[in-house]
Amino acid sequence: MSSVADTTYDQSRPAAATRRPRQWRKSLVAYSFIAPNFLGFTIFTLGPILFSFALAFLHWDGSNPITFAGLDNFWRLFNDSAFITAFWNTILYTALSVPLTLVCALGLAMLVNQRIPGRNFLRAAMFFPYVASLVAVAVVWNMLFNPEMGPVNMVLYTLGVDPKALPRWAADRNWAMITVVLFGVWKSMGYYMVIYLAGLQGINRDLYEAASIDGAGAWQRFVYVTLPQLGPTTLFVTVMLTIQSFKVFDQIYLLTQGGPGTSTLVLVYHIYNEAFISWDLGYSSMVALVLFFVVLTVTIVQFRYTRQQTT
Amino acid sequence: MTKHWLRRIAAGTALGAVLAATGLAHAADQVTLNWALWDWAATPYYQPLIDAYEAAHPDVKITYTDLGSADYDTVLQTQLTGGSSDLDVITIKDIPGYANLISANLLTPLDDYIKAQNIDPKIYGGVLDSLTVDGKVYSLPFRSDFWLLYYNKDLFDKAGVPYPTNDMTLDQFADMARKVTSGFGADKVYGTHFHVWRSVVQLPAVFDGKHTVVDGNYDFLKPYYERVLKLQDEGVVMSYSQLKTSNTHYSGPFYNQQIASMPMGSWFIATNIAKVKTGESKAVHWGLAKYPHPDGVPAGSTASTVTGLSVAANSKHQQAALDFVKFVSGPEGAAVVAKTGTFPAITNDEVLKTITSTPGFPDDQQSKDALVTTSRVLEIPVSPIAPQIDLVLSRAHDAIMTGSETIDQGIADMNKGVAELQKK
Repeated sequence: MSSVADTTYDQSRPAAATRRPRQWRKSLVAYSFIAPNFLGFTIFTLGPILFSFALAFLHWDGSNPITFAGLDNFWRLFNDSAFITAFWNTILYTALSVPLTLVCALGLAMLVNQRIPGRNFLRAAMFFPYVASLVAVAVVWNMLFNPEMGPVNMVLYTLGVDPKALPRWAADRNWAMITVVLFGVWKSMGYYMVIYLAGLQGINRDLYEAASIDGAGAWQRFVYVTLPQLGPTTLFVTVMLTIQSFKVFDQIYLLTQGGPGTSTLVLVYHIYNEAFISWDLGYSSMVALVLFFVVLTVTIVQFRYTRQQTT
Repeated sequence: MTKHWLRRIAAGTALGAVLAATGLAHAADQVTLNWALWDWAATPYYQPLIDAYEAAHPDVKITYTDLGSADYDTVLQTQLTGGSSDLDVITIKDIPGYANLISANLLTPLDDYIKAQNIDPKIYGGVLDSLTVDGKVYSLPFRSDFWLLYYNKDLFDKAGVPYPTNDMTLDQFADMARKVTSGFGADKVYGTHFHVWRSVVQLPAVFDGKHTVVDGNYDFLKPYYERVLKLQDEGVVMSYSQLKTSNTHYSGPFYNQQIASMPMGSWFIATNIAKVKTGESKAVHWGLAKYPHPDGVPAGSTASTVTGLSVAANSKHQQAALDFVKFVSGPEGAAVVAKTGTFPAITNDEVLKTITSTPGFPDDQQSKDALVTTSRVLEIPVSPIAPQIDLVLSRAHDAIMTGSETIDQGIADMNKGVAELQKK
């Protein structure tokens, strides 16, 4: 924005004196338009964020006077086995759910981009989980995946899976994370499908035609035309998904409460426990700070990597 | 036009000020207390308590704020932490929540008031001692529940198994549960029922008073987990995972005659009486027995929970709130609470008589005798890290009961987790 203004001044130096107030007035009008939003953002988002950064280096239980903690909260991270578990569980959740959601969303988008009967209905049906009430959906999901009498295991049983080998889903340490990931994928794939659909429809038809004339098959068209053309969309989806996965809380709160044991305990859940069960707001802010830097680093790396790829 | 408009505003402001002043004058002789509680609609004694108090104190009006039972402690503390003076009287739901409120200085100490009013701590048994933190007490108990065994007489009759007695060891109880288990599929009757709470398994282990759940070493829990897991493997009880994933409330299987017996708190007496009346509970012929005890521990030993009333440190009506707390936790309040079939903190023969003569209470002598306890330990002692310990123990309990961890691994987790907390 400033570079645009600079060039204006350079081109019309004599008129600059009369222009400056007008320019200033223009900016003021623009600021006044974003002011209400920015004011809300400052009070309700930016302020608390900065406060929580400060809290990470303080001791506070919400009521008693705040005391300075120095790096106490930081050193505690390394002795807190629940934090370490939560950290790796969060990484695992992200590593599983991001690629899986990406593939499912793209697959669905390709499917409903075809001229198939009932296409609009399918699109709506796929999008539905994203807008459905999470609480209601989680209850139904727990019933479906009930280890003893859930329909999912019934189907697996009739397909010939040994009853003893049937997964115990949310009730089993080794399956609980997978159950939560599947829920997350199912819940959010509809939303990213819509984004991919927009991306797909933005691809120039001529490219496909040209590729066909050159003898490219369906698979080659997908790999050499569709995927590269969807590059920016994929970057966007990946970044959004990654951030969303690192922040996962609600579905875990509803499905497993972090259990069995600590097998689905994630960082945000740990932050919640430390803040609102133990009332250790300083330490929970330190965990939140760690989460912030993890997400920041991953996002920067993703941007760098994609920039290298495209240039 | 503009002047008109201004004049109107001025008139409005003046009128508002007059009204506010009248309001203040009115408030001076009428005190309104706000009582923080949970499950207003499902709890039979709130309204009678308020009615009784207001009848005796016409200058005081009691309103309430229902914070819900699921996140009561969290919601309550968040509200009080925000510096709100809206709440005057605070109901204490459990010990971890109580410990948090005390360390946050959100409750008024009651010692001076207790002394000034000559309230005799003896009427509460030893409960007041266990609510004392650093020499100060912050709450007067008005309800005290203890654990006992509920059973369905019809199911025992059908299986030809004698009813549970008031003197059973845990092993005898387990064998009895095995015998009364029968049927398959929809007709299956489970011998007993362990709800998903960690207390259901861990409590009998502290009946002897030698250990507590804040000790830091939990090796003593092993035989208790072994017994319960064995019953679960044999299909004598519904599986923990099943109950957890389906969010089954413990009352459902008892109402629907799916379980022959169930260890549960005494609060369920009033509930089942009420639900039999409405037809929701099909367990019409039911009985009570003392909680089965570990070998070498006398019959009638049990664990108890305490529900207390406190005064918010921020309350602007300290004196009025203190008086209400004294009334509810005192003999007058106890009589009102007992009449609803609920156990007040003051238990004497008269209270027991009131409860056992409630219409719908089992009419056999054994059920009446079951209410007499020899010793009661608090579920979890007051400790500044009680909430965190509770979290660690519940997590390990979950891992053991779902079979995700062996008993040894789970207990190791408890020992390690609590050691970390104690170091902090």
